[in-house]
Amino acid sequence: MATAAVARPAAKPQPRARDEEVLVWPDLVFIEFIAAMVFTLALFLLSFLMNAPLLDQANADVTPNPSKAPWYLLNLQELLLHMNAALAGVIVPSIWLVIMGAFPYFDRDNDGQGIWFGTENSIKLSIIGGLVGIVGTWFLILWDSGKLAFFLNDWFGFSGGDTFRFLENVRSIQTQLPWPEWSREITYSPWNIVIIGEDFQNLDFPGWLVEQGIPTGVMVAFPSLLIFALWRAGMIFTRRDAVVVLFSGFVGAYLVLTVVGTAFRGQGQELVFPWQLKVSEGIPGQH
Amino acid sequence: MAVETPAKPSLSDKLYDKMFHNYVWKSIFRTGYPNTPRNQMLIVATNVFLHLHPTRLHRTHVKVTHTYCLGGLSFFMFLGLTVTGILLMFYYVPSVERAYLDMQNIETTVQFGQLMRNMHRWMAHAMVILVFMHMMRVFYTGAYKPPREFNWVIGVILLVLTFLLSFTGYLLPWDQLAFWAITVGTNIAGAAPVLGPKSRFWLLGGFEVGPNALIRFYTLHVIGLPLLAAIFMAVHFWRIRRDGGLARPL
Repeated sequence: MATAAVARPAAKPQPRARDEEVLVWPDLVFIEFIAAMVFTLALFLLSFLMNAPLLDQANADVTPNPSKAPWYLLNLQELLLHMNAALAGVIVPSIWLVIMGAFPYFDRDNDGQGIWFGTENSIKLSIIGGLVGIVGTWFLILWDSGKLAFFLNDWFGFSGGDTFRFLENVRSIQTQLPWPEWSREITYSPWNIVIIGEDFQNLDFPGWLVEQGIPTGVMVAFPSLLIFALWRAGMIFTRRDAVVVLFSGFVGAYLVLTVVGTAFRGQGQELVFPWQLKVSEGIPGQH
Repeated sequence: MAVETPAKPSLSDKLYDKMFHNYVWKSIFRTGYPNTPRNQMLIVATNVFLHLHPTRLHRTHVKVTHTYCLGGLSFFMFLGLTVTGILLMFYYVPSVERAYLDMQNIETTVQFGQLMRNMHRWMAHAMVILVFMHMMRVFYTGAYKPPREFNWVIGVILLVLTFLLSFTGYLLPWDQLAFWAITVGTNIAGAAPVLGPKSRFWLLGGFEVGPNALIRFYTLHVIGLPLLAAIFMAVHFWRIRRDGGLARPL
C-alpha cells in the first residue's frame, strides 16, 4: 500500500521563553560583583576623606542645643514640634507602616507589574504626589513656625492685626481665640482611666484641637482630597493610581521633614537657614 | 604526504591540568571551570552562596536600570557592617567607664581602627539610604503585586529593623552626640500611649540613658537585631525565588 506523501506546512518557529533568558553566571553575578566593588571602593574613599564624628564624652549634665535624634528619625522629631508627642512619635509612624504594608492587599491588580511606572499616568501621578508632598509639607512647616505670618508682615507689610492673630500658627488657635472657660475642661467620661492619661476623663478642647484634632485632620484630609481631586480630574482610575499618589506624597513629605529637621532647625528648634545653624555645646547644669 | 599529529600539550596546559584536575581540587569544586553553559549553570546551582540565584533569568532582569542592584547592595552593606562590626568588637567594651576611652583608642592607637570605624559608620548610613531606595524601586516597578504581597510586608519589617539596628548602634560611642540623640529618640518612643513609659523603661533599663541602656543597646546591636534581620532576610530572599523571581509583566 502506497502512502501518499502529504505536504505538511512548514513548522513555524515558536518563540521560546528560554530564548529570552540569559545565564546568571556570568550575566548577573558579574554585575553584582562590579556593584559591590564600586561601593566598597567608594566607601573606602569616603572613610579616608571623612572621619566619623566623636564629640566629648557623654555627660547627662550638659545638654547641647539643639539636641537631635539620628538623622533618619529627625522627620519624627520635626513632626513632634507640630503636634502631640504620642501622635507624632508613635501613632503616625506606626499607622503609616501598617498602611504601607497593606498596599499589596489593597492594590491586587497585576497591571503594570515589573516595569518602571508601568501603568498609564503613573509618572504624572508620581510627580504630582511628590510635589504636593514637598510643597504642602514646606507650607505647613512655614505656617506653624510662624514664618508665613512673619514673611507676610516683614516682606509685604501685610498684617492681620489682632483679629487674625489666631491664624499665625496652630498653637495660636488655642491661645489667641476667646475659648469659653468650660471648653477647657469638658468632662466626658464618668470614670478616670489613669493608665491612659493622668486626667483621662476631662478634655481640654482647644488643647486637643491644636495638638491632635487639626494635625490628624490635616494628615487625613490632604491626601484624601488630593486623591479625590485627581479622581475627579480623570487621572486616577485604579487602586494602583491612588496608591502611587499616596506613596509619592509620603516620599515627598518624608524628604522635607528629614531635611528640615536636619538642616533647618537651630537652637531651641527654631526654624533657620542651614548657614545660620549653630550648635551650642551646652553649659554644665543648664538644661 | 603530511601526517597530522596532535600538538603536544604545552607547559601551561600541563600546569592547568595539575592544578584543576587533581583529586583535592575536584573534592572542593565539583564543577569544571565555568566557560561552558553547562558548567556556568552547575556552578550557580551547586554553590551554597550562589544558589540564592536561579541558574538563568530573563534578560530584562540583568539590566542595571531595572533594579539598580539596590536590594543586593543593601545586603552587601549588611555583610560589610558585620565584618567591620566584628573587628570593632575586639576593641570595644560596652561599659560607661570604658566605652568612650575605647573609642579614642580605636581612633588613635589601633591599626586601621579609625578606618574601620569610619567604614562602619558610613556603611550604616548607606544601608539606611539603600534600603529606602530599594523600597522605592520595588514600589515604582509594581513589584509588590501578587504573588509577592507578603514579601513586601517582610520588606517593611526589614526597613524597621534597619532603622533599629542603626539606632541601637548610635549610642555605643558614648559621646555627647550619641547620648543626646538616644535621649531624644527614646523620649519619642516613651510618648506612646499606655505602653510608652513602660517600653522606654524596658529599652533603657532605667529612667534615663545610663550603664543599663548601654549594655542593652549593645546586646541588641551586635546579636539580637542582626539575628532577627538575618532570619527575615533569609525569608525575604527565599520568597523571591518561590514567588517566581523578580516581577515581570504578565
